[in-house]
Amino acid sequence: MKGYHDIVGDGGSRILEQVAEQRTRITDGLAGVRHLVAVGSGKGGVGKSTLTLHLAGALRARGLRIAILDADFNGPSQARMAGVEGALFVPGTHKVSLPRTRDGIAVFSMGALIPESQALEFESAAHGESHTWRATREFALLGEILASFDWGALDLLMFDLPPGAERTVQYAEFLGPGTSFLLVTIPSEVARGVVTRSVAALSKGPNRLLGYVENMSGYYCRDCNAVKPLFVSSESAALGIPCLGTVPFDPELARHCDLGIPLTALRETPVGRALDLIAQRLLDGL
Amino acid sequence: MKFLCVPCDTPMKLQTVAPPDRGSLSIVYACPECGYEMAMLTNAYETQAVQSLGVRIGPESDTKASDASACPFAEMIPAIEGSAVGAETPIRWTAAAEARLANIPGFVRPMARTGIERFAREHGALEVDEQILDAAREFFGM
Repeated sequence: MKGYHDIVGDGGSRILEQVAEQRTRITDGLAGVRHLVAVGSGKGGVGKSTLTLHLAGALRARGLRIAILDADFNGPSQARMAGVEGALFVPGTHKVSLPRTRDGIAVFSMGALIPESQALEFESAAHGESHTWRATREFALLGEILASFDWGALDLLMFDLPPGAERTVQYAEFLGPGTSFLLVTIPSEVARGVVTRSVAALSKGPNRLLGYVENMSGYYCRDCNAVKPLFVSSESAALGIPCLGTVPFDPELARHCDLGIPLTALRETPVGRALDLIAQRLLDGL
Repeated sequence: MKFLCVPCDTPMKLQTVAPPDRGSLSIVYACPECGYEMAMLTNAYETQAVQSLGVRIGPESDTKASDASACPFAEMIPAIEGSAVGAETPIRWTAAAEARLANIPGFVRPMARTGIERFAREHGALEVDEQILDAAREFFGM
C-alpha cells in the first residue's frame, strides 16, 4: 500500500502549494527591500514602537528610504504616533499604496484600519477557542500584508514587533534568516531578564542580533537641561549582545508620539542625539 | 492530508467542498479507478486550523469556492465606515477602477472604497476612475 510520500500532490486541495505560493508572493513583494530589521524585546511597555518610529525618522533624515510595518496587530500604536490614523489606502495597478508620515516614512498599522474603540476580530468556525488558531491566523495576515502592499524600493523595512519572547522567535522564523533583530530594554532587572530570554531564544536561530537599546535610561529634565536617574541603578547582567545606545525619557517625546508629530523638532535634544547615534550604529551593523 | 483508496492503491481526488455548516466542512473525495466516494467531515477546530492558513479549500476547478474565499480576511474586520448613504449622490466606479480595488486585500477594501469616494466628492467628482485613484495617490504623497 502506498504511503504519504509515495503520492504526489494531495488530491486537489493544494494546501501546501498554496502556502508555498503565499511565501513566493511575500518574497516577490519584498524584492526591493535591502534590509529587514525587526525591533523587538520580549517585554511590553519598554518603548519598542516609539524607538522604531523615531529610529526610522533618524534614518529617514539621512536620506534613506524607510517603511514601518506595525506587526503588533492587537495593540497597534504606529498609526497614531506616525500621524497616519484614518489615512486613505489607495489601490495602485497591482498593490495597495501605503500612507506616509510627514517626513516620508511609509507605514502600515492596523491602527489605521481599526479605531481604538475596537479590537481586532477574525471570523472563526471555532468560536471561543481562539487560543487554538489565532497565532496562525495572525501570521497569515502578516503574509497577506507583506504580499499585498506596495513596499517598493526601500533601504530598510522595520517591523515593530509585539511583546513576548516566544513571539519574537515566531517572527524570526516567519520573516526568515535575512531579518536582523534590534532588541529594546529599560534599566529594570525585570525587563532585562525578559530581554535576556529573547536573546537566548533568538541565538538558537540564524537571525542576526544587531544589539540592544536601553530606553528610558534616565529622565531628561528640560528645566535644568540634564539627564537624571529614572531607575535605581544596580549592577546589570550583560545581555551578551552589543549595546547600540541609551535613550533618556523625555516627556516632550511622549507628547510628540501622542500627537503624531515627527521627531524633527527634538533633533537637537539628548533624545534626538541619542537616536541619531543609534541610527548610525544600526547602519554600521547591517 | 491525502486519501488513498486501499483496494485500488490509488490516491483519491477531491471532488466537492460544501460550504461550512456550523463550523463543519463536507469534503468529498473519489477514487479515479473504482469511483468509490467518501466524505471527510471536519469539526470546527479542523476547519479553523486550515482556514487560519489563509488558503482556499476546494478543488482547483471550483471557481465558486475560489471567489468565496479569495481573501481569507474579507470578513475579518467589521465594516468600520459604512458607505456614504442618505442624501449624498452615489459615487460610480468605472470598471478599471473597480478592477484596481479588487486587487487589494478584502480587509482593506471597504475602508479604501469609502475613503476614495470621500476624496472624489471633495474634488467634485461623482465617478471614481483611474485618474481619481492616481490623483488620490499623489495628493497623499504615495
